[in-house]
Formats: sequence, structure tokens, C-alpha cells
Amino acid sequence: MLSLQERRPPRPASTTMRIAILEDDVSQTELLSHWLQLAGHNPHAFEQGANLLRALERESFDALVLDWNVPDLSGVDVLKRVRQRLHSSVPVLFVTARNREDDVVTALREGADDYMVKPVRRLELLARLEALSRRGQHGQEQAEVLELDVYRVDCQTRTVLRNTAPVDLTAKDFDLSVLFLRNVGRLLSRGHIRETVWGPNAVVTSRTLDTHVSRIRNKLGLTPDNGWRLAAVYRYGYRLEQLDAAASQRATQTDDHKAA
Amino acid sequence: MTPMSGRFGGDSSRDSLQPRVVMLDKDVEQLVTRFLVRKHAELDRLRAALEMSDFETIQRLGHDLKGAGEGFGFPELSILGAKFELAAPARDTTQIAVCIASMERYLTRLQVRYA
Repeated sequence: MLSLQERRPPRPASTTMRIAILEDDVSQTELLSHWLQLAGHNPHAFEQGANLLRALERESFDALVLDWNVPDLSGVDVLKRVRQRLHSSVPVLFVTARNREDDVVTALREGADDYMVKPVRRLELLARLEALSRRGQHGQEQAEVLELDVYRVDCQTRTVLRNTAPVDLTAKDFDLSVLFLRNVGRLLSRGHIRETVWGPNAVVTSRTLDTHVSRIRNKLGLTPDNGWRLAAVYRYGYRLEQLDAAASQRATQTDDHKAA
Repeated sequence: MTPMSGRFGGDSSRDSLQPRVVMLDKDVEQLVTRFLVRKHAELDRLRAALEMSDFETIQRLGHDLKGAGEGFGFPELSILGAKFELAAPARDTTQIAVCIASMERYLTRLQVRYA
């Protein structure tokens, strides 16, 4: 079970994973949540598949952990809807006591990324989730130094260079910048951003979040004329996009038109 | 820290009369305590389900026990859970009764120490 020696130091905000767990057994939910929290992640538990699907319409997660046998929709039903209806490529790990080969094959063929048979071991579960996250984010999410376009982010020294010039950022603005730069092209919900940057228990108003986003947009120059767009998505959150030259020109013209 | 091993389910062995001592980390005490309270309560549910021939409930409780037991530090409970899960669809009332008795004996003799 748990060992004091195995505990890790607090995880940097930018590598914290927001994980939805579909599990109807309270004990199992508590155990998985405890393990994930110890590892510095933010678990969200759902007892019913329909509730998880509703949450997925308004919230983003870094990974889903699905049990198979739950009331109402099964884990596989949820997986099908996640892939087919929501068109989501969120990493999915099945954690279930069903151990028949055809169960494993069914889950993987329906779009699961990995499959574990209960009882699961803590470190193996964490390692598999982290591996899924690495694959989903092109191997950049754990890197200490991120290089993207004109940006160089050093997570060790917590500095951001833009065209080799340091950008003056507060601690929260740095975490927010890293979160977006590690998730280019991905729509992040407000809840996800709040939780990752400010922590799961922080009370942060939408206005505060918007202010921080606006500030990093200006400080980092995440604007169409620089080939970037940090766009608000109505009633959901934000997405950082890297634009190609033509898209950048079009977006700049649109912005100019709006300003006029 | 790993649970102390011991024979499980043997009625007549001397070992089965000894307390089962399991050492766990202090920070899981509340989690484990809640888990064990639930498992004690499930004994009554299992007995009632057996009496009503509600094999579906027995299978589901066994399934959950199999999935969670070892993760909490009690692999014996996972083994028992698997036995319930097999016996229920076979409507093997004798085996289910034996498993309930084994589970009760295990939980009664279990001593968890936290360090």
C-alpha cells in the first residue's frame, strides 16, 4: 500500500493532471482519489456515467479513469460517447475487475488508451496515467524546458524568454503561461485552469481569471499579428492556438475590422 | 509496508485462530477505517442477500471486494471477493455461506496497526 518513502515533492502546477474517475464503489473511489492526490493530481469522482458525460460538456480533463460496471451507462458506453459524440481524444484508462480477454479487446477497440485489471497497484496506476498524458501532449508536458516559436520556458528557474528577452511574470502568470503553452490547440475549461493554477480549493472569480489571461496575452504577445491567438470560448474557457501565416493575417484583419 | 501473510479460510488451522496483523501507513488510517466499517456492514447485506437468493447483489458486492481489498492492504479480501463473484452466478449457496463466514472471521480477527 502506501509508503512514506515513495511520496513525491509537490508537483509543479503545470504538470498537475485533472482526472475524472468513473467508479460506483465508494471505497475504490476514495482509494484512487487518495493516490492521485498524494501524487499531486486533482481527481474528480463520478458515480454515474451520465453525470460524467454532462461534466465533459462543460469541463476539460487531462485523463479519464473508467470502471466498466457502473449504474446507468457502463464505462464502455461512456467511452463510445466520449469518442463518437463529444469527439474527444482525452486519454482514457480503464480500471476494472473485468479481466477477460474480450473485455480488454472491446475497451481498447472502442478507444480506450490503456486497461488495468483490479486490484491495481498505486505506482503502476500513476505511471500509466503519466505515460498517457505524455503521449497525449507530444512528450512536452514533463519537459523542464519548453521551446515554442519565439518562447523559451524554463520550469526550473520559472522564467520565460520571448525572443531571448525575459518576460516579467508573477508566479500565477507563469503557471498560467506554462499551462497554455503545454496545451497549444486544446480547449481548457475555466474550472480546469483555476484548479491547475490556483489549486483545487482556491476561490477564484471569473474576472480574476480573465484578468490574468489578458495580462499574459499582452505580456507574451499571444496575438494574431504574432502568429498566436489566446481565444475565449463562450461559457467554457480558453484555447491557445498557433496560427499559420494566412490564418494570422486573416485574424489580424478581423481584429482590425472589429476595432474600426 | 506489506500486510503480514497468513493462511486464509482454513477453519481448523491454528493460524486461523491468531489475529491477522496488518501494518499500514498512518496517513491512510481514516481511509482504511471507513473501508473496514463498510465491509463489516456488507456482511449483513451478504447474509440477507443469501437468504433472499439475491445472487446479483452477492456478485456485485464480491466484485467490489475483489477490486478494492488488495489496494487497501488486504489481499485476502480480494481473494474472497473473487470467490463470491464466482459462486454467485453458479448459485452455490454452500460456497457463499463459507465465504461469508470466512470474511466475518477475517474481519473479526483483523488488527490494523498504523505507523
